[in-house]
Amino acid sequence: MTIADASNPLSNPTIAEKKLFDRCRAMRATNSRTSAFGLFAETGLPHRRMEQWKWTDIRAALTNLETPSIDLAKQTVEVPEGACVLIFDGVAWKLPETLPEGVSAHRQSDATPLKTIEGLPLGQLTASMTGQDSSSDFVSIEISGKVDQPIFLDFASAPAETAFARLAFNILPDCSVRLIEAHSGNAAFSSTLIEFRLQSGASVDRTFVQRASTAQSVGITATAVLGEKASFVQTALGFGAKVCRVETHVRFEGAEAHAELNSAYLAGDDHHIDFTSHVTHAAPSCTTRQLTKGAVSKGGRGVFQGKFLVPRSIGQFTDADMQHQALLLEDGAEVFAKPELEIYADDVECAHGNTSGQLDEAALFYMRQRGIPAVEARALLTEAFIVEALQTAHEAVRDQMIDEARNFLRAEG
Amino acid sequence: MRSMLNLQNLHATVGEGDEAKPIINGLSLEVPAGEIHAIMGPNGAGKSTLSYVLTGREGYEVTEGSATLEGEDLLSMEPEERAAKGLFLSFQYPIEIPGVPVMTFVRTAMNAQRKLRGEDEISAPEFIKKAREVGAALNIDAEMLKRPLNVGFSGGEKKRLEIFQMMMLEPRFAILDETDSGLDIDALKTVADGVNVLRRSDRGMLVITHYQRLLDYIRPDRVHVLAKGRIVASGGPDLALRLEKEGYDGVLGEPA
Repeated sequence: MTIADASNPLSNPTIAEKKLFDRCRAMRATNSRTSAFGLFAETGLPHRRMEQWKWTDIRAALTNLETPSIDLAKQTVEVPEGACVLIFDGVAWKLPETLPEGVSAHRQSDATPLKTIEGLPLGQLTASMTGQDSSSDFVSIEISGKVDQPIFLDFASAPAETAFARLAFNILPDCSVRLIEAHSGNAAFSSTLIEFRLQSGASVDRTFVQRASTAQSVGITATAVLGEKASFVQTALGFGAKVCRVETHVRFEGAEAHAELNSAYLAGDDHHIDFTSHVTHAAPSCTTRQLTKGAVSKGGRGVFQGKFLVPRSIGQFTDADMQHQALLLEDGAEVFAKPELEIYADDVECAHGNTSGQLDEAALFYMRQRGIPAVEARALLTEAFIVEALQTAHEAVRDQMIDEARNFLRAEG
Repeated sequence: MRSMLNLQNLHATVGEGDEAKPIINGLSLEVPAGEIHAIMGPNGAGKSTLSYVLTGREGYEVTEGSATLEGEDLLSMEPEERAAKGLFLSFQYPIEIPGVPVMTFVRTAMNAQRKLRGEDEISAPEFIKKAREVGAALNIDAEMLKRPLNVGFSGGEKKRLEIFQMMMLEPRFAILDETDSGLDIDALKTVADGVNVLRRSDRGMLVITHYQRLLDYIRPDRVHVLAKGRIVASGGPDLALRLEKEGYDGVLGEPA
């Protein structure tokens, strides 16, 4: 199928979808771009009739694709001292003149859809919209050492219709990298795709903060394929957007690898935040620890979808734990959760827990009796609840993240 | 003598709407500055309800009467305003606050009260020094003060932490609700010592208890018997001894 052929397979495309189809038709058709876009075009923008998107309807949120009228500065995290900063301006990646030892970066001309992004419509769309023949950059980065200084990825696009950003990391055996990301751009629709390939003994530590206005729709998609004894640790703090989907797919392909997925979300009025993850234990003796904590105020909406898939025989001795806990701070707050364990191997330890509730009235009264005003008491209790999921954040920004959460909660109160 | 806490013909219900149940039924009580009064009474007399009514807990509604602290109407204030005015409740069942270390909690409370009163915050070194001193007096080790408030603490530790908070916050009027329950005899002495240290001519206290035992260590100036939501008998410390010997039925002359 060529891009021209991929013309409107949807019976009733939205204005936004038509714009995306037109834009793709204008690009030079390579096989890989065509196939990536074809995969996206099968479904169009993800919508609520797709099982994985029933609570996060990107199509409905994006009927139009209009540049936001305001350029908002959004507080996320500041660049730590000594960090290597890569800035994405909405079109191109700005790379520093010298990269740290053990880091090399290359702009990619092709739209190579990786196997691992199949079934990820936003990932496929981002793959087909990036690369040198398109308007947006696709940069691949190889890590060939133990890189101490953090790499700071600044997603800071100016107001625009779209911002598509793609990165691919290849971490060579026994090498390591730590990333800090600020997702605070101002495009109406931003979609980021980061692919991680962790070779045996490699490690990635990723911390990010997402913040957007209710005029924006945001997708942050990541895939990680782990070799033997590799380690992938991800810590996220999300404040949501008109709709925001943070989707992480982890696949263990070598034994004794480890993943940690920790997320905190805070959704205020009209903000929607979705943390979706999929972990496939396709190798024996791998461990996963996942903790997601959220707090939602009136008019906000939180979504958690987590899945552990443990295939027969190759997934033996899996040890995996998934926890999601949410606080509904006020009437009119919504949380939807779907934790799933799909286990076909017989010698595994898998657990999951899912709770949602309200702040403890007895605790609130106790704090007020001690003189702490209700607003502050609620904020303090909520912060204490949330912070547990941020313990694995990069130490250079952890306190800033906690401060951001605190400021949000004080303001919400 | 100046009356510090002044309750006149107080009526209060517990519960919402049709479920509301009258628990306090015309209670009058005056505690002058500098005095410690004990309230004793059988189960269900309304002892804990009284402590919640005075501190402003939701679900406890005053339907009649008045409650003032140094002439100021307590009932029109939010719970935190009452605290800032110097009203402290040592809870019968202290609440666990996960994720908030004792030190952070107490400092937040202290500064919140100061802010409501228009005072400056306590400095970090000053606070730490004071916490060390008070902790030492109550046999509370520094490690415990770093742990989340009351989480995983024993009943006795929780009660000691209540007194720790009281000594840190230095309230003008303290209500101690069954502070003796869950304490062994050594802990009881430690806690009583802490309370006695706070005895001052400008501070009042109301000690709610089931048993006379606590009153051996915290000598009350007056003892009141609460039954069916009213004070039915008042007297000196010897009233507590009589209650212990004769039981509530014996003293009140009828089944309470």
